Amino acid sequence: MTSGLRRAVWTVVLVVVSFLITALILRVSGYSVGDVFSGIIQGAITATGASTSTIRWAIPLLLIALSVVIGFRAGFFNIGGQGQFYMGACSALAISLGWREGPAGLVILCGTLAAMLAGVLWSLFPGWLRVRFGTDEVLTTLMMSFIGALVLQYLTAGPMRNPQGTGQTAASERIPEAFRLTGGSGVSTTVLLLVAGVTVLVWLVLERTRFGLTMTLVGRNATMARWQGINVRRVGLGAFALSGALAGLAGAVELYGPAARLVTGFSPEVGFTAVVVALVGLLNVWGTVVAAIFFGGLQSAILFLPIVTDLPPPALVLLHGMVAFLVTIKFRAVRRRRAAGAEAPAG
Amino acid sequence: MEQILATTLRSAAPLVLVAMAGVFAFRAGIFHLGLEGLMITGAFATVAVGDTTGSVELGVLAAIGVCLLLSALYWWVIGPLGANVIIAGLGLTSIGLGGTAYALGAIFDVRGSLFTEVVLPRPVRNITSGAGVIIAEHSIFVWITPVIVLAAWVVLRRSRFGLRLAAVGEYPFAARSVGVNPSMIRLQAILIAGALCALGGAELSVGALRNFTENMTNGRGFIAFVAVIFGAWHPIGAAFAGLFFGFADAIGIQSQINITERVPREFVLMIPFVLTIFAVWLGGLWRRRSLEAEAGYAELREPDF
Repeated sequence: MTSGLRRAVWTVVLVVVSFLITALILRVSGYSVGDVFSGIIQGAITATGASTSTIRWAIPLLLIALSVVIGFRAGFFNIGGQGQFYMGACSALAISLGWREGPAGLVILCGTLAAMLAGVLWSLFPGWLRVRFGTDEVLTTLMMSFIGALVLQYLTAGPMRNPQGTGQTAASERIPEAFRLTGGSGVSTTVLLLVAGVTVLVWLVLERTRFGLTMTLVGRNATMARWQGINVRRVGLGAFALSGALAGLAGAVELYGPAARLVTGFSPEVGFTAVVVALVGLLNVWGTVVAAIFFGGLQSAILFLPIVTDLPPPALVLLHGMVAFLVTIKFRAVRRRRAAGAEAPAG
Repeated sequence: MEQILATTLRSAAPLVLVAMAGVFAFRAGIFHLGLEGLMITGAFATVAVGDTTGSVELGVLAAIGVCLLLSALYWWVIGPLGANVIIAGLGLTSIGLGGTAYALGAIFDVRGSLFTEVVLPRPVRNITSGAGVIIAEHSIFVWITPVIVLAAWVVLRRSRFGLRLAAVGEYPFAARSVGVNPSMIRLQAILIAGALCALGGAELSVGALRNFTENMTNGRGFIAFVAVIFGAWHPIGAAFAGLFFGFADAIGIQSQINITERVPREFVLMIPFVLTIFAVWLGGLWRRRSLEAEAGYAELREPDF
């Protein structure tokens, strides 16, 4: 087997193991695994509107996961997708509510660009700290993500709060219907074409351009790349910017698509799930597409499940956690252990 | 003012306990992002077992047991099985958050909060006026937190284990060359961290309050991790950072009660995160020390994607 195929098989094995462990937990706590499984199939594929819902949830996951992939390629852990996604959505909302009378196409274009810009700013700050001062980006992107969630909470509870809102949770006003690219289902030809275009573009950039190649070189070995005359800082900043732009775009697509208004703390898991999606997709664009549809299906299913079983929805968070916990286990490490028998390798 | 200081101690105690967990892990060269998950597991297990058996001691013991088990699994995954420390840590956090919320529904058939009668003993009570308010009504865990901080300091600085831990964290190859098994030392550090997270979680659910609520840690595990960085991974430093974040939290709560709308609560809540970015930046500048510690976790972090 080629190494790529072997890694793919190994990842599938790990995902299956995570599912089996979660299924065991469900079984022990008294749920029928068969019912849950058939509920997942119905909720993700066969029930009315289920496959649309799967795509609806796959879209933000895919865009943010691609942003994670770009980061990883250049050797960075951008785990702040959630914050960039929120800031993107907030900026698009600000433009759309501030310019209600504008021509729909232009407002959507401006809003989307603003969202991407906000995502870029939110990721470029940690990126700049990283390339300029060597500040660890894992922590800073995570912190920026928390700050982004608080900014959203502040905006939806304060300046952007819908004055007529009566609900318990703070939410903004709805954007005018004319600005929406989809109905409540979150899927339309425009959005699908947009997302497909972006995905192909990301693939082209990563695999077919000079920039993509230098990014991969920097990610593999920054020192070597520097010796070859690559401006490592510039490439790093470019990767962070591109990464943030995609996560911000996901925010705009969410707003102009299914959401239409912002609720405090919406889609709280999407940023983290996207990291899992990127890893399961082997940090490869097409693998990520498959993984995003798969996890989108799970998300869709968990919303459907209450109809057929009384399974508590947090089971999905548990499952995502399980996949993340196990998915980076190395094939080599396991095989080496087996070869060495009981003797574990030191360190 | 007394009220603010009392609230500070109450908010800070769980943070400081979990921060000590973070210090042990950090000294072993592990970026432990699973603290949040362990903390909420501790909070849940204490309430679940404590309420079922009616004994808070059993609840705390069960919490420690579960957290030790999860920590051992975490060690197994990131050590012998070579999984990525950060991703597996975040996974552990999701397992904790999702698992406890799931168990709340599956075992107790409630959504949201589970109230309980059991509560940690409170040594000093019934002081309603004067400076005494500051120390009144705190659970026993608030009182033992300073002892644990000092103990952590002594262990890290003076014991054979603490020195080996420092060696493993800063330069595992050297530790191995004198016959220390870095993997075993890391296991011990992770187990200690797990037990401390259980205590922090228990303090949160049955010390300061009397219930378990879904997602009740609300990022406290991450803030505790932040306190570790901000306190330059020294127990005393991390404890003071935890105390400071507790103070910020107390101010946030007070401002909500007294001067509503003047300073939005969200901005107060941002303080720890903004400070951390600053601290991480400063730590990065302070090259010499951080490089050595980095060499430690580089061995675990080794990107193989």
